[in-house]
Amino acid sequence: MHQYSILIMRWFFVVVQIGVFGLAISRLVVVMDNYYYYYAMGVIVMTMYSVAIFTGYEIYDEADEGYTEYLLALPLTRRELVLGRSLAGGIRSFIFMAPVIAGFMILIGIVNPLRVAAALIALYGFAFGVSGLSITLAVGLRSGDSFDIVMGALDAFIVRLSSALYPIAFMPGPIATLSKFNPLTYAADLFRWSLDFNVQYLSNPVTAVVVLIIFLATFNFAGVAIYERNLEGGAWK
Amino acid sequence: MAIVKTIGLTKRYGSNVAVDNLNLEVIEGEILGILGPNGAGKSSTLLMLSTIIKPTEGTAEVGGYDIRKNPYEVRELVGVAFQEPKLFWVNTPWEILTWHAKVCGVKNAKQSAEKMLKELDLWDARKKRANELSGGMKKRVEVAKLMVQRPKIAIVDEPTAQIDVSGKYQIWEMIRTLRDEGSTILLATNELNEADRLSDRVAIMYHGKLRILDTPRNLKDSIPGGDIIDVRVASPLDARIMSEMNGVVGVVDLDTVKPTHLRIHLNKAEKMLPEIMSRLNQLGVVVNSVNMREPSLDDVFLHYTGAELDESKASE
Repeated sequence: MHQYSILIMRWFFVVVQIGVFGLAISRLVVVMDNYYYYYAMGVIVMTMYSVAIFTGYEIYDEADEGYTEYLLALPLTRRELVLGRSLAGGIRSFIFMAPVIAGFMILIGIVNPLRVAAALIALYGFAFGVSGLSITLAVGLRSGDSFDIVMGALDAFIVRLSSALYPIAFMPGPIATLSKFNPLTYAADLFRWSLDFNVQYLSNPVTAVVVLIIFLATFNFAGVAIYERNLEGGAWK
Repeated sequence: MAIVKTIGLTKRYGSNVAVDNLNLEVIEGEILGILGPNGAGKSSTLLMLSTIIKPTEGTAEVGGYDIRKNPYEVRELVGVAFQEPKLFWVNTPWEILTWHAKVCGVKNAKQSAEKMLKELDLWDARKKRANELSGGMKKRVEVAKLMVQRPKIAIVDEPTAQIDVSGKYQIWEMIRTLRDEGSTILLATNELNEADRLSDRVAIMYHGKLRILDTPRNLKDSIPGGDIIDVRVASPLDARIMSEMNGVVGVVDLDTVKPTHLRIHLNKAEKMLPEIMSRLNQLGVVVNSVNMREPSLDDVFLHYTGAELDESKASE
């Protein structure tokens, strides 16, 4: 029951953010057409990030409960363990956001199955990569407190230094440059591109796909390597 | 034939040496009890053999596979029942066993789980969450994972710690069944009675080192004068009788608890008893009663480590 309450509260937060704050702020933005949709799509991708990043916290919970030993004893490779968890983290984020995504697509009238599929793949690929990033940091840092601090800092920077809430074209020079190295920028832009948003404000979709593939591959394989080295070294103790 | 062989197996946590150059062999089909107090290195040894942690030095072969080079193959052969049951609190026994069976590649996972839950009197609790189960039920679910998995090598870490007597008997029976059906069992315990009753052979570990490994019978016989024969006689024993009895081959020591109570320290008392009785008869001693007892594994532990198991537990 507790988990359902949390879920409903989070949905409520996303709906209020898009439905109230998004509407209000979009009236202030006059230089860009349809900023409201731009903002709403950015909030969806940001929320996917926030949900997927929780995958790393599970590793600490499992270590606290002694469950890590059990997972390490199962007839699975470490790669299967990490990739399985990342894939599941992506799916969970997806399930969490499914009602909001579906509602939003209906609101903006997107019914083309190819566009819907492309948008969902972009979101899932991003969530998969974020889960891998979260696992890599969780097993690399070895301390729940350090992980909390790094996650807080990362969250502050990754959202603000991205095109999630405003296009790169409107950012000051150095911030625009940093945003080009941020996977959230490419995930948000690819999601918007899939939903037929005005391309003049978006990154190149091919570049976005390449960056997301590099992002998810890098952090998932780093996660496997560090998981094996640190957890089999007994760090979970 | 050795199914597990450790070669200089060592595990260090910082400056603390948990397992120190361990060399032991586990024979296929046996229950090997690893006896020692907390901190003796039992759990670290088992964690290395199940590839959960990596050794600092040395290695081991499990079912012919090197734990360093072929950890996945080792995990396919090994099943582990942990000291603290590893049950995710939100899952039910049914979910835990069916999931475990599926992950371990057991055919008919649901049927196996159902059979085991019924056999272990857990069927009625199958839909309860793990955090609603009693300590004994959790332990049984933990061991039931092995019963469903039927691994070639089963590692069982203190399976009956903090369990009531009837629960202990049930878990012991599960372990014996597992052995009888072809699994080799490595049983870590700090309970003497458990090691004595279950193990075909016992390895005593202390401060990370293997002190001795043999059958419980041989271990007990290995203590010089470890067996005791108490003889109560009709009249007080004199010096001549004491001297004669002291000369019997195999008698290590003897004394009188009372003038009519002779205590003889020796080995293999069951074989020596006829000769002792015959000699007393020749000396004209009228025997009222004879009581024979062998040393316990606690005596064996004391002999090989210089510490009593309970004392060493307390000092850890």
